[in-house]
Amino acid sequence: MAVAEPYIAPATPPARRGRPAILRAHGRLDVAAASLLVLVTLIALLAPVLAPHNPIQPVGLPMQSPGSGGFLLGTDSIGRDILSRVLFGWRSSWFAALAVIASGLLIGGLIGLVAGTLGGVADTVLMRITDGFLALPAPVVAIAVVAALGGGFVHTLIAVAVVWWPFYARIVRGEIRLLAARPHVEAARLAGAGRLRIAVRHLLPGAVPAAVITASLDVGNLVLTLAALSFLGLGQPQPAPELGADTAHNLTYLLQQWWIPVMPGIAVMVLALAANIAGDGVRNLLGDR
Amino acid sequence: MIQLIAKRLAAAAVIVLALTAVMFFLQKISPVDPVHAMLGPSASPAAIVAEQKRLGLDRPFLAQYGSYLNGLLHGNLGMSYRTRRPVSTDLGSFLPATAELSVYALIFALILAVILALGSTLRWPGSSVFRLLLIAGASAPAFLLGIVGILIFYSKLGWLPATGRTSVLNPPTGPTGFLTIDGLLHGEPSVTFDAFRHLLMPALAVAAIPAVSIGRVLRSSLIGQMRADYVRTARAKGLTERQVVLGHVLRNSVNAALSMTGLQVGLMFSGVVVIEEIFGWPGIGQYMAQSIPAADFPAISGVTLLLGAGYVAVNTIVDILQAIADPRINA
Amino acid sequence: MTTLDTAASQPDTMEAVARVENLSITFRRGALNIQAVRGVSLEVRRGEILGLVGESGSGKSVLGMSLLGLLPGEPAPVTSGAVTVCGKDMLNGSAGLRRAVRRQHLGAVFQDPMTSLNPTMRVGRQVIEAAGSEDEAVRLLRAVGIPDATRRMASFPHELSGGLRQRVMIAMAIAGRPALVIADEPTTALDVMVQAQVLALLRSLRDEIGCSFLMITHDLGVAAQIADRIAVLYAGRIAELGPTATVLHAAAHPYSAALTRSRLSLSSERGRPLVTLPGEVPDPAGPPPGCPFEPRCALARDECSVTMPEPVEVAPGHLSACILPPGEVAAAFAPAPPASRITTLDEAAADVPAAPAGRPASAAAAEPAVAARVQDVAKTFRVKSGRRRVGLQALRGVSLQVAEGESVAIVGESGSGKSTMLRVIAGLERADRGGITLGRGAGPQMVFQDAGASLTPWLTVGALIGERLRHAHLGAAQRGERVEEALAHVGLPAHVARARATQLSGGQRQRVALARATVVPPEVLLCDEPTSALDVSLAAVVLNLVARLRRELGMAVLFVTHDLSVARVVADRIAVMYLGRIVELGPAEQVVASPQHPYTKALVRAVPDLGVTPAALPGEPASPLDPPPGCAFNPRCPVAEPACADPDFLPRLIKLRGEQDRTVACIRAEVN
Repeated sequence: MAVAEPYIAPATPPARRGRPAILRAHGRLDVAAASLLVLVTLIALLAPVLAPHNPIQPVGLPMQSPGSGGFLLGTDSIGRDILSRVLFGWRSSWFAALAVIASGLLIGGLIGLVAGTLGGVADTVLMRITDGFLALPAPVVAIAVVAALGGGFVHTLIAVAVVWWPFYARIVRGEIRLLAARPHVEAARLAGAGRLRIAVRHLLPGAVPAAVITASLDVGNLVLTLAALSFLGLGQPQPAPELGADTAHNLTYLLQQWWIPVMPGIAVMVLALAANIAGDGVRNLLGDR
Repeated sequence: MIQLIAKRLAAAAVIVLALTAVMFFLQKISPVDPVHAMLGPSASPAAIVAEQKRLGLDRPFLAQYGSYLNGLLHGNLGMSYRTRRPVSTDLGSFLPATAELSVYALIFALILAVILALGSTLRWPGSSVFRLLLIAGASAPAFLLGIVGILIFYSKLGWLPATGRTSVLNPPTGPTGFLTIDGLLHGEPSVTFDAFRHLLMPALAVAAIPAVSIGRVLRSSLIGQMRADYVRTARAKGLTERQVVLGHVLRNSVNAALSMTGLQVGLMFSGVVVIEEIFGWPGIGQYMAQSIPAADFPAISGVTLLLGAGYVAVNTIVDILQAIADPRINA
Repeated sequence: MTTLDTAASQPDTMEAVARVENLSITFRRGALNIQAVRGVSLEVRRGEILGLVGESGSGKSVLGMSLLGLLPGEPAPVTSGAVTVCGKDMLNGSAGLRRAVRRQHLGAVFQDPMTSLNPTMRVGRQVIEAAGSEDEAVRLLRAVGIPDATRRMASFPHELSGGLRQRVMIAMAIAGRPALVIADEPTTALDVMVQAQVLALLRSLRDEIGCSFLMITHDLGVAAQIADRIAVLYAGRIAELGPTATVLHAAAHPYSAALTRSRLSLSSERGRPLVTLPGEVPDPAGPPPGCPFEPRCALARDECSVTMPEPVEVAPGHLSACILPPGEVAAAFAPAPPASRITTLDEAAADVPAAPAGRPASAAAAEPAVAARVQDVAKTFRVKSGRRRVGLQALRGVSLQVAEGESVAIVGESGSGKSTMLRVIAGLERADRGGITLGRGAGPQMVFQDAGASLTPWLTVGALIGERLRHAHLGAAQRGERVEEALAHVGLPAHVARARATQLSGGQRQRVALARATVVPPEVLLCDEPTSALDVSLAAVVLNLVARLRRELGMAVLFVTHDLSVARVVADRIAVMYLGRIVELGPAEQVVASPQHPYTKALVRAVPDLGVTPAALPGEPASPLDPPPGCAFNPRCPVAEPACADPDFLPRLIKLRGEQDRTVACIRAEVN
């Protein structure tokens, strides 16, 4: 029916087709943003090399202000180097966030794919369960789960992963349903492709961009949520360097030695900001809508 | 519409029921033995057995869940290991403070979100600076916003108080439990003003992240809708940009923002727990924060149920508002 | 460049309400400059309907938007030249000025009335915004023929039919008696009967209000219906501009001549391949330096590729941008030896692609083998209507046989169930009742309306076509060869196998879809409106291709279309469907030439054509959610009898007396 021209003059002019987004001029900024992910991961990986001191042991006078005594970010109440603690805290925060995202993508993606591809009763049942999880405040339930499992870093990760996947299941399932309504799936059916083949070849690749975009925009949220849980004491036990917990334990020094509780908080902020900027970049690169 | 509301309410009830099942299950798998936690490590074996019997722990699983549910219906959330009081009593006394903080935080978040979205859509001057500031703020963990706020506005400038809900010694009680409202109702505007000063920092610290998330969704939804065909029609009629945005685009854009608001309330609650701890806010968040190191599961479970129910309620309201905003949504 | 100023050699009493002078519009998309409009001059005179005709990419919509002062784009396009409406500058005037002109002097009707109305605002309020008061809004809704206007004010757009929605758009457009209404493809999204109604409405509005219309359309037939003058746009330039009759019948530009010739009508010749316009519209990011039509022009000379011809007056009030003398163009495109309006089936020789030729003549005598048999098939979908779940009765007992190698077209409006029928045969839907019997050959394949959407975007063409060969136990090399063969068969080079659908043009995608469907030739090829999303010139190419493939591969074709003129040239037989039932079935030529069912008659009369005023059947099409009892057509039927509405009356297809192979489901046929 729609024979007419589109209202906006060709938004996808022919010559631009097929040219990867990375090569387009306006894509460069997004590429730079997205590559922040790599940079942050590198810093996290190299934390043991980059850290000037042992993060656990006192290495200088306590409560030195930033810059003094050769300690860039100062020392804490028992003389540990805050910079080293922050770097190691970064490392665990970042990898924890990535691990939860990965498990969310994997579990949620699988459930979304199955529900979206099968449709019917399987879809209804799986999505009711997913919606049930989504209808609960994830971070609060995570706290309850950790409290039940009994604290500890691994338990915290498990708890967050348990409440984090449904979001991805929703996204992937939604994308798959949209794709499944396109004629190309019916064309594949007529071409003789079976259910599995349709799911893997004709549906899944189409849902990947949306899932990756969601995931990269979600890293920042997760960094913040994990920091909040750590702040509440649901992370690694002391004396392990943990960004949220280091703030919580040093709140008493806030008014006199502000840097002791504030520096780890700023580290979280930088991490989340980098993740958010990178997420925006990834969305612009992959979204292209 | 009535049918829709009934449906949504039924769904909400089911979800809350599911949450109770989850909490019951978690309690069962918890390595912390409630009997030991209550009686202490030196209790005699006989006392333990008696306590187990008293708590009904020797009965079958489903029967235990039944009596657990029955207890919940009668307001019995168990005893707190830490305070040694019924959890329901504790929650009752701490809830109003949290409710007031959350409501203000939500209002602040929505106001900031609308300013953020409309500002950049209608190109208000200064909106890009405001946006950058908010995005940076939204990347900060709530606890950082809280402590930096204390450093600046309390310690340095001395403008705002840093702890508690009020500095009035005997604030009026009831009927709403919101000090800002009760102060007015009792004819003591000074109480309202004082409570508001106490609220400002914690509520803004909680509101920052949801504000940016909601604002972002509203903004991209506005931008998307501005390209819709009906906007072209409205412009062709000769309507002003203001009429187009406020009269046509806004209503078509709110649904995405409403969904995000519902989602963000969940994240906001975790912010509430952290912020109440920092600001010494006498609410259920602080209660939960203090219960965590004590492994006080009944207390944590009680708070979770309460916040969960609140979250479900907010999202039910969101669903109904969406149906009002868009006549195409039905049943 | 100001050729047009002098071109207004019509009496000066013809005052222009809108004037476009040497207008160029370039959109910047990254590093590319998309030249949408390149030096166009024209004027719209008071009270006239100017048809602006062009294929996609011709710049016609952009031109319309520039008259509205609403050029889209971020960043704003680069413009030069002038656009004035009622003497006001719509190109460089302030936003406030342009808005005031839109408010006072302009109206607009757009293609898709569903998306062009605000979905969350009652139509009454939307009309009031333009009309100023509630009373005026109701008056306007009545004026555009909306029944029960007062009650309709409270409806939301999704509660109205497509035709009513477009009437609401028109009511808003004529509010405040504008001097000019820009109508951008106002009937393209509508069924042919509703289209005839809307065109009639526009005509009568012009006579009553006296406003001018700029009628933007891709369809010469639509323009021919209502335009006083026609401007033909090609690649952002005016190819030809003149009185409607002149442009249609004595075109001075090879493009408009070719466009007229490649247009399908109810009198197109069936006996030979359709006239096509080879090639495609030039890339707007880098149009050729010379005449933009030169690469496709049969009459092109060397100099055509060097200099860009300006529109010059070839006769009073008639402009053409071609260096050839008009007489030469006219001679070159003179109609072939006068074909009778209706070619008989006998004339269709065996080597003629578009005509029935699938099976050898010797087999004609014997009962032909059946490629597909549909027996009393019914299908009801559960859909949500408001808050209730209701049954949408897509098929209500359909029987049809397609012989081996035969081509049958199913014609109907939206809601007739024609596409559902195809999908049931394809096995994409399961019938509630009745049976499908297929021949012994390869299972049915389908070609979809939106070829782009039917190709998996991230897979290469080679992978997509190769998918059908998976069970053929071929090596990779052999498979590649078969893919190349199939591509060659549809006229595509081998390297297309490495491309993805998004990298192809619309015409190429439809060819790829055909290659995929025929790499293993099916017994029946199912075509679901494969040409309705294509420009006229491309549509003809695809129809020819379908006909050739059918002949060479010996397939039967079942071709669903809303367009009787397409059905007539592709099919041996036509089945006309209305609300889930076949109402008439017979040889294509005869069904069109002497329709027997009142619905078929109405359908034939509604087809817009050059020099014919279509007659519109009044009233709204009935809904498959609630088909009228008895004969579903009876509420709209001009010759209905009380017995037609009898719930116990079930119209059956009955053989017409004295005519072979013709059946009609009408109470009058039963009485005879």
